[in-house]
Amino acid sequence: METSIKDDTEIEKVEFDDSEIEYVSYGGEHHLPLIMNLVDEELSEPYSIFTYRYFVYLWPQLSFLAFHKGKCVGTVVCKMGEHRNTFRGYIAMLVVIKPYRGRGIATELVTRSIKVMMESGCEEVTLEAEVTNKGALALYGRLGFIRSKRLFHYYLNGVDAFRLKLLFPRPELHAPLGSSDTYTSHMHSDSLIEG
Amino acid sequence: MAALDRTDEATTTVQSRPRIPSGDNSVWADASPLLHAACQDLQEGDLIHGDNFNLFAAMSALEIMDPKMDSGMASTYYSLDEAIENGAAPVPISTDKTTDVRCIIDIMDHLLACEATWHKGHSLAQTVYSCLYLLQPERTSSHALLHSYCQVIRATCKAVLSVVSDSRTHEEEDLFIMAYGLPLSRDGNERCTAMLNAVEETICRQLRACKASSSKRRVSEDIEPLQNNPDLEEGYCKALLCRLRFRKHFYHLLMSMKRPQGAGLELAREHIASCISEIDHIRKSADFLRANAPEMSEQNITTTASGCQPIGFDASLNSRLSAPTPPRSIKIFCWEKALEYFVKLLHDLDIICSYSLNPSLEAALLFVVKFQKSQPDLVSRAHLQLLLVQNGKLFGRYPMFSMISRAAGLPEVAENHDIQKNEFMVQLEQMVINLLKIICTNAAWQRRKLGKMLQDWRVTFVQLELAFKKEFGNTSNNENISFKIYQHILVWVEEQTYWIAFRFLIVGFELELYSVHDYCMVYWYIYIVLINLAEKKHLRMAMSSGAGKKKSKKKRDSLKDAGVNYQISAPVKFLQSQIYLAEGLAMMLAALRNEGRIVPPQSPFSTEHEIFIQQFELLLKACLPDGISYLTYKESTANANFSTLVMCDYFKEAQKIAKELKSSFPNDPDMIAELKRIEQVAERNNIALNVICRLGTPDPSVKISFTLCHHPFFATAIVKRS
Repeated sequence: METSIKDDTEIEKVEFDDSEIEYVSYGGEHHLPLIMNLVDEELSEPYSIFTYRYFVYLWPQLSFLAFHKGKCVGTVVCKMGEHRNTFRGYIAMLVVIKPYRGRGIATELVTRSIKVMMESGCEEVTLEAEVTNKGALALYGRLGFIRSKRLFHYYLNGVDAFRLKLLFPRPELHAPLGSSDTYTSHMHSDSLIEG
Repeated sequence: MAALDRTDEATTTVQSRPRIPSGDNSVWADASPLLHAACQDLQEGDLIHGDNFNLFAAMSALEIMDPKMDSGMASTYYSLDEAIENGAAPVPISTDKTTDVRCIIDIMDHLLACEATWHKGHSLAQTVYSCLYLLQPERTSSHALLHSYCQVIRATCKAVLSVVSDSRTHEEEDLFIMAYGLPLSRDGNERCTAMLNAVEETICRQLRACKASSSKRRVSEDIEPLQNNPDLEEGYCKALLCRLRFRKHFYHLLMSMKRPQGAGLELAREHIASCISEIDHIRKSADFLRANAPEMSEQNITTTASGCQPIGFDASLNSRLSAPTPPRSIKIFCWEKALEYFVKLLHDLDIICSYSLNPSLEAALLFVVKFQKSQPDLVSRAHLQLLLVQNGKLFGRYPMFSMISRAAGLPEVAENHDIQKNEFMVQLEQMVINLLKIICTNAAWQRRKLGKMLQDWRVTFVQLELAFKKEFGNTSNNENISFKIYQHILVWVEEQTYWIAFRFLIVGFELELYSVHDYCMVYWYIYIVLINLAEKKHLRMAMSSGAGKKKSKKKRDSLKDAGVNYQISAPVKFLQSQIYLAEGLAMMLAALRNEGRIVPPQSPFSTEHEIFIQQFELLLKACLPDGISYLTYKESTANANFSTLVMCDYFKEAQKIAKELKSSFPNDPDMIAELKRIEQVAERNNIALNVICRLGTPDPSVKISFTLCHHPFFATAIVKRS
């Protein structure tokens, strides 16, 4: 799956105030054509209507749309479920149309989804993004995602993908500093260097 | 239709065409009434589906007649027969012989471009087999030139396909080997080359005849010219000859490389040289072909030397042969790029063929690592892998256990010891074979597999250690040979495990997996892994020099020997220079962060701790090394600052060692080059460090960034005032 938020400077930007953007959770069948149009236009992969319905019917609470003066300008579609003994969220599609990019709409959309995932008990969130999509990679980097794998020729257009992963903190991992299991190899190579 | 449980309502409509017979518990039934009834209750967007309808099933659903998804959608023709009936691939291409030859050369050129595109990871059906002439082998039999060329192309595809599918290098490049429904070579090798040779011979004579007639000499034999225009005869003969000869040598090259135990490598090198020289001739023929292309044609086709559109290609016909997935967009390489691809492939194969097949595991591993630096493509990597491991032996010649015991520095008597039948030793052999195979794969796949492999190596180490303790208890100084074998192999396994860990970490740079904000922890971990690697390597080398000492005691001066164990060998010193460099970078990056000169992004969802766990999950799971955690990282970097950093001289030490070491590797130009790179990165980082220190308090106009342009994984700091 993919994300389309590449920042394209040649596109004429629309003047608007951030407060004019309205974010809504997926509200039903009337939202479906809006999501499909955005994704069809902006993303390279073809998705059938089954794919869209699979996501929005099973996890309506994880899909959001962004509107400006009644026009849908961005959307995020996600799922979550058990994956190899972890409860994992997955960001399937993230789109903001070109004239509205670079203003934090994608960040807001995806942040809303991730929050719901976190509250629903997800341990981690994953997604794929084209290796050439600098805008998306920077966005997810700021949110704490790491690039865990590179997937060779992942997309139909032959481009590689990164698998990005965000791990939520687990309380037991945040023990106070200075616990007993310290590593003592700081005198490391001395034994070798002395020779 | 659906197979329902046996009911009384089994209807007859389907039974008339029972393609899949009913089973014991099921029978075919018409589900239309059920679906029809269900339709009444369905709201818009509802879907009838089984319990197993998951994301994969949803993603696999195709929307018929959507060109983005429906690869079976007819575009120009419905079938190959229809295309042929419509004259899409005439034989001969033209009744005018000159036109016929010209068109055949275009077909040859476009096929080469298609072949390169296939090798680069697109489906065979939509590249090479978009050529309609290849699809019905009998159709071209009346046309010797076209027929022989099509034959050798099919045979070549088959040979390449079998190498790639025999090796496991293709796992992530599985599109490459999909060839169902395509006619690959059915004729024997001899027939394919015999026909090609006969055609080549004829054109050779035609070329000789035309040269003779142009120099007004009498022609001894009466030879029909290649085509009608005497002025163009020489040019067309030459253009065809280099193309045919390239195919011939390329095919022979593949056959020679296939011979077991690397027996055909020398011969293969001769064919490589011939291929390269024929490519040169092919390139040079472009001027002639371009000059004689028909004026009417649009000269913007890039896949042929002439610039003309080739006849007889249709990629859409075959797209329905690809898997039930949406069609992939394929851009066929331009002709120049295809030639470049083949030159690179030939050079890469030449590197493989010139390897000495040295019976040493360490040498083989280093050879592959070095080979991978030039980013070879799938086909050459597959060849290398097949050469390395044949019948479970190195190069098909040397049993793995004897290679392992040699690598572990054991005397020759160990190589045939019964201990190799021990289940963990057998397991170890298999892991070494896997390792050899995995390091031949593309970097993305390789890193994933290396990461998973770490756990196996660690577990096997523990198992071997337990077996060792069980057999010998706590006795030490045992002169028993199996005691020695265990002892040596254990150290070697640990060293090898850290070597894998090191590769795993550095391949991450090549794949661009690390963000600059993670560099600090990555270099810190590399430093930890390198220390352990150096320790194990040192120990292993000291042990084996001990073993060698006993053997050659008489010859050597015992005083000299005494020093051997305490001296640091050049390979370990080389690791030391890298240890200093990694530690220096980790500490510099930590100081930059601690003093607020580089501010990492603050994620609303996670902390550096989670990033650490994710980056090193596989290493931490395999306890490489024991007792490492985020806390140890934090403790060793939390206090780094520039005032103390300058005193530590990490970079100066790295530079010094690298400089001194050059004399230890006089016959190893690659090592010298690597040492120079390390020296350079260390020197530049030392300068950057001093500049940052002199600046004093953080200055917002000063930008500090890191680049990998001087070394593939050791970054260089750049300080700039904006």
